[in-house]
Amino acid sequence: MKGLEFWKHVSIGRYVESDSPVHALAPVTKYLWLLAVMVPASVSGSAPVICACAIAPLAFAKLARVNIGFLLSGFMPVLPFLGIAATFQALLSWPGDASAIIVALGPVSLSVREAVAIATMALRFAAMMTAIGLFTSVTSEGDTARGIEDLFSPLARAGFPARELALTIAIAFRFIPIVTGEFESVVKAQAARGADFGTRSRNPVRKARAYLPLIVPVTIRALERAEALGEAMEARCYGTGPATRYVESAGGAADMAARILAVAYAAAMLVVPFFLH
Amino acid sequence: MERSNVRRIVVSGALGAVSAVMAITPLGYLPWFGGASLTIMHIPVIIAAVLEGPIAGTAVGLIFGVTSLVKAATAPIGPLDPLFANPLVSILPRLAIGFAAWGAFRLFRGKVTPLAAGVAGAVGSMVNTALVLLALGLVGTRELTGMFGVDAGALPAILGSIALTNGLVEAAAAAVFTSSVVSAWKGIESARGRSKLSGEGS
Repeated sequence: MKGLEFWKHVSIGRYVESDSPVHALAPVTKYLWLLAVMVPASVSGSAPVICACAIAPLAFAKLARVNIGFLLSGFMPVLPFLGIAATFQALLSWPGDASAIIVALGPVSLSVREAVAIATMALRFAAMMTAIGLFTSVTSEGDTARGIEDLFSPLARAGFPARELALTIAIAFRFIPIVTGEFESVVKAQAARGADFGTRSRNPVRKARAYLPLIVPVTIRALERAEALGEAMEARCYGTGPATRYVESAGGAADMAARILAVAYAAAMLVVPFFLH
Repeated sequence: MERSNVRRIVVSGALGAVSAVMAITPLGYLPWFGGASLTIMHIPVIIAAVLEGPIAGTAVGLIFGVTSLVKAATAPIGPLDPLFANPLVSILPRLAIGFAAWGAFRLFRGKVTPLAAGVAGAVGSMVNTALVLLALGLVGTRELTGMFGVDAGALPAILGSIALTNGLVEAAAAAVFTSSVVSAWKGIESARGRSKLSGEGS
């Protein structure tokens, strides 16, 4: 198996600590803005809405003092894909496309409608990728879990396990480096014994069986650690009474204003297309 | 078997971490041949559903979905990755894996446990493949037709053939993994006979 050290520095997202006004927002406010951008960007077909959704994360990045180039760097590997998709859009003409032709080269022509479709596709990807990239840049792991609890707290009154879900996510974050370490040591141990992880086999079941000496011990050790953690939590009476939080992130007036703005922004993005047509 | 809430939380968190590590490293993909690879990062979701029930399965499915969403958005590697930056493709279908796997496990639970776990693995994997491809087809019709260079009418046939080829092979791999992990864990649990967490009946 190649690249034994590949996963030495795993990280989900790329949190950068700063004292910007965006960093200071409560986690739930950041989630609301993430949803306010992601939902219209994924469901709307309107070009102006998608354009606005692509601009919003960049404006926040400026406020958060996050390098916009750094944020867009994740977009680079997508460009070849967009190039291929754009070429096929230009090659295949839309049925009933009566819009003006921008460029024509022999039988291939690019109409306004096709150009708008290509730009909308690129902007939709850019909006979602920069929104998620920025969220992970301004929200720490702890805040990500706490934000889940706050976000779902209205549903908690109806029995939704918001607190349990937040704790599950927090535990997953804590376990990621442990599991990574386990994977690394088991891969090295098995490779030292001559395991080739089925690299010469094309039979998928045989290949899966060759990976068993890696997946089974790592999963079992994760489960054993989970059980030990569970016993420790029960010994400390977790779940027997009301729990308190070590970090309170209530937020002030600016936070409340940002929340109202997020809801207003999302509503506007979903309603505006009906007035444009 | 009544499971304690604490146990469900910690097992979901640990298996969520296994799934996340598989999703962000090459460990989640078994290289097959011709550049194709088999995805195995949904297997912790199935294991969670089999061991701790559908809610744990859904929680791990959520962690897996969010990880693949963040990875697709921040470090895309494949041509299809940008489509996975949409939560309707990367998160929503993954929430159903746990319920499907748990249902399949319950149906066969009375029989031999490794067999029931294998069936749950295959069913969970097939539900993952089918729902992700369905979501891809519904959400990214225009992008996919552009990428494959085909008419929108031919898209269901292409996605269907992917579901049949890759999907069935992944289901077989998932059956092997789930059956092995669940048997090993159940064996350890029953063999050592140590005290169980409170609230966990027998």
